[in-house]
Amino acid sequence: MSNVKIGDSLKRFEDQRFLTGRGRYVDDINLDGQTRAVVVRSPYAHATIRSIDTAAALAMEGVLLVVTRDDWQREGFKPMPTKSAVKTNADGTPLKEPPRHALAIDRVRYVGEPVALVVAETLSQAQAAAEAVEVDYDELPAVVDPVQALAPGAPQLWDGIPNNLCIDFELGDKAGTDKAFAEADHVVSLDILNNRVTAVPIETRGCVAAHDAGSDRYTLWNASQNVHANRDTFAEVLNIAKEQLDHIAPDVGGGFGAKNSGYPEPVLCLYAARRLGRPVKWINSRSESFLSDTHGRGQTSRVELALTRDGRFLALRTSTVGGIGAYAWTVGPFTPTGGSARTQGGPYHFPAMHYRGRAVFINTAPMDPYRGAGRPEATFQTERIVEYAARTLGFDPVELRRKNLMPPEMLPHKTPMGLDVDSGDFPLLFEETLKMADKADLAALRAKAEGAGRKFGFAIAPYLECTGGGPKEHAGVVFNKDGSIELAVGTSSTGMGHETALAQILAANLGVDVDRIKFRQADTTATPLGGGHGGSRGMEVGGNAVKQAADEIVELAKPVAARLLQSETEEVEFADGQFQAGASSVSMNDVIEASLDSDKLPDGMEPGCLDHSSVFERGVISIPNGVHAAAVEVDPETGVVGFLGYWVMDDFGKIINPMLADGQVMGGVAQGIGQALLEDIVYDPDTGQLVTGSLMDYGLPHADEIPNMEIGYYEGAPTKKNPLGVKGAGEAGCVGACPAAVNAVLDALKDYGVTHIDMPLTPMKVWKAIRAGGKHDPHGLLGDAA
Amino acid sequence: MEDFTYSRPASLSDAVAVHGNADDAMYMAGGQTLIPVLKQGLAMPTDVIDLGAVWQLDGIAVSGGTVTIGAMTRHAVVAASNDVGRAIPALATLAGGIGDAQVRNRGTIGGSLANNDPSADYPAAVLGLNATVVTDRRELAAGGYFDGMFATSLEPGEIITAVKFPVPEKAGYAKFPNPASRYALVGVFVAKTASGVRVAATGAGQDGVFRVTVLEDALNDDFRAAPLRDVTIPEDNLMTDMHADAAYRAHLIGVMTARAVARANGRD
Repeated sequence: MSNVKIGDSLKRFEDQRFLTGRGRYVDDINLDGQTRAVVVRSPYAHATIRSIDTAAALAMEGVLLVVTRDDWQREGFKPMPTKSAVKTNADGTPLKEPPRHALAIDRVRYVGEPVALVVAETLSQAQAAAEAVEVDYDELPAVVDPVQALAPGAPQLWDGIPNNLCIDFELGDKAGTDKAFAEADHVVSLDILNNRVTAVPIETRGCVAAHDAGSDRYTLWNASQNVHANRDTFAEVLNIAKEQLDHIAPDVGGGFGAKNSGYPEPVLCLYAARRLGRPVKWINSRSESFLSDTHGRGQTSRVELALTRDGRFLALRTSTVGGIGAYAWTVGPFTPTGGSARTQGGPYHFPAMHYRGRAVFINTAPMDPYRGAGRPEATFQTERIVEYAARTLGFDPVELRRKNLMPPEMLPHKTPMGLDVDSGDFPLLFEETLKMADKADLAALRAKAEGAGRKFGFAIAPYLECTGGGPKEHAGVVFNKDGSIELAVGTSSTGMGHETALAQILAANLGVDVDRIKFRQADTTATPLGGGHGGSRGMEVGGNAVKQAADEIVELAKPVAARLLQSETEEVEFADGQFQAGASSVSMNDVIEASLDSDKLPDGMEPGCLDHSSVFERGVISIPNGVHAAAVEVDPETGVVGFLGYWVMDDFGKIINPMLADGQVMGGVAQGIGQALLEDIVYDPDTGQLVTGSLMDYGLPHADEIPNMEIGYYEGAPTKKNPLGVKGAGEAGCVGACPAAVNAVLDALKDYGVTHIDMPLTPMKVWKAIRAGGKHDPHGLLGDAA
Repeated sequence: MEDFTYSRPASLSDAVAVHGNADDAMYMAGGQTLIPVLKQGLAMPTDVIDLGAVWQLDGIAVSGGTVTIGAMTRHAVVAASNDVGRAIPALATLAGGIGDAQVRNRGTIGGSLANNDPSADYPAAVLGLNATVVTDRRELAAGGYFDGMFATSLEPGEIITAVKFPVPEKAGYAKFPNPASRYALVGVFVAKTASGVRVAATGAGQDGVFRVTVLEDALNDDFRAAPLRDVTIPEDNLMTDMHADAAYRAHLIGVMTARAVARANGRD
């Protein structure tokens, strides 16, 4: 038997090295002869490049190479590809995918866009030389707001892409939805902003690139969430076979989507390493990260809800404009279109839904996935319009939700957005969450807040989301003579604990002690394929790959066990780490040992015969769901919001490791609260300069702003979509947190007539909303553009 | 970061001498602002003169109604000082609310005042308490010391050696932190002294710390928080940025003043 089972809160193996400063991140890697690279970035949001003069930089001490557009064009390198799952307009025409080169060729289109790469012996030499690269720009008008970018007369980012429109996408039944709205007793309509944010991983992006001229092979150590897909992108750009590039992510300090895509800098460093015949290291500074990391959210939506007189939902209609930055990046067009469409309506029963999403080019850093990539937006839109309907039409917000949740007997159900909702008990989780909050004595919390001159607010926010990311995953297992078991998986932990949870799955399923397992991940030399990190796929796809490998190893081991048991393979049964045939049994440990000893193996089997690789392929994405509730107090004198309580019930299906799941929920809630109250990427509307270029202005949540959370799990409805019965836990926290936090604040402000404030609900915005009373234009963001 | 010559003189006179012989020297008195500024290339001095070894600048003394704090005294030391806590508790509270623990263990009162960041806390206490800034060559009254954002009346090479705070009848400090940086978006120091009430606001003014005379007038009539609700704070010359416009800052000056008065009166 194993010393762990599924469901144990096994402590994280990786924490010892993380907490004692012994992690091995990209910046800890230093190769012989290593050089340092610095990127020259555009200071303009939009400009034509007249000329680039590198002579002064090249003449400086220690400078080895300056890579510019001339090199890129001479070498014939390809643009970086877009891999959006949605690539078609509603009218069937393809989206606009303008070329995205690793270096700007003729125009720069956002502040921070790479224009040149300077390589020198030392970092300070490279930094000094980067300042000396003379780029002559001709500034052009810029537009940073996607709604303005769509308007007639707006600055145009690309020749041949009218109105800056990348894609105009639709999903759902438009005619049926319009009919439901026409016949409804009540219709509410509200413009909702989902503010632009960035991930701010504690480890900035960075890489070390090396090239071996003899074999013409490249090695890239890169702070990436997605080594296989990124490898393919880099190889495509550089016109090399992907087998020529080994791509390894060592320990990675946070990603949240911002390390998902194929960025320019690693490909520039690979090229420079080849040119110089020396390794090239590049580490992004924090300031550059704000300019050059992909951003998330950034959607403006008109959301409309049709109801009957007694509050039954009839239809949901959404029209979203998403600013995706200057390029279609890797999957940028997906989030405001398919990504936000799928989970519209949440766990409520909507007979009809229609979603329109337009992705628009703007003069900002690129947009790519950020934790949830569309599902937090969809949930926020749904929960805000439900709360707005309750407030403006006079329904009780709790009752209105209760009345419209899909009952369990309705499942499985395909939503009007095409989402396959197979399992769950939404009303049960709703009531359980209310009970958790009631136990905290909301009346007492209210009395205490009001006694101190503050306003009390409470909100409950059911959510329903879905997994995503690469559908295939590889798990490879090797048994060593020293007793260790190597497990290599193509997933990518950026800190969330795969090293522990995936080992736990292997150990529990094989019936061996977990301490024997040595984990490897995110390394193209160790795994032939892998889907990396994204879409809460770690356990759902990676975990199932490990389980599948373990199950197949058990079958491979049965002949070995049969010989030890002097029995026939067909008669051998396996359970709890024991192979049994009749009255006699032998442990998996003994069978593994025998499998490495030719004397103990059946004829025709060789030592190492249990070493095995397996590829799991997800059929249908699973549906994590749950309920968040928040109690807040608002200081009406200053607009400051504080949390008094936070409660979560999640249905992630089967829980592998509750402690790790808790960590995912808490981190996700913290990010959601950050977006709801503090975080905001702000560009100057005239110049396109980034206003929030540092942590002095970009408000990350502090520990003292995040409440203690009470978290419960419902395991009564595991999904049958995958063998482990798991539904994905990585993003759900930030799916539920924004609506819970915002609606709780608005509940606190109801005495002032405040019905809506756009995120982030900063103290100034809350204070101004109180002063404005009920005055708010519900169509002030989109106007006629919806 | 550009290269510079680093020195760590052991005496005030040595520090001044090094400064006099350098092309473009900067003193470092804790480095909590200077080091980030150097790293970003926003300052490129030829010489950085670390005052950390000049022991004569460190320490706290209370005598005859005056609290004297040496320029190199760290914020954490002021915050934890029983002498300061007894004489001017609001000053200890202010020091304990600067930055985070690391900043408080490195940053110094002299460094803060020489830098005169418009969002720093100490300038509010110095102006609010009508303190005297003592340098290696003269004494400057608070009113004549501050000279706009990041500007003071210090001459090139002049070193602050100590700050002398007269002990008030009572005082209070209330800070509204910037949601991102946690510097003071508005910080108000209120002191009731024998010669009248002084109200100094930091974080809010386009020219740095300033006295809010409308509030001083109101508090001279009635040193309580409640009547301040009726006072309108002029928005002229207040900062506007993404976190707070002038109207919000003006409002917060009133709220923070009321809270500082409540604290001064022993009602938090």
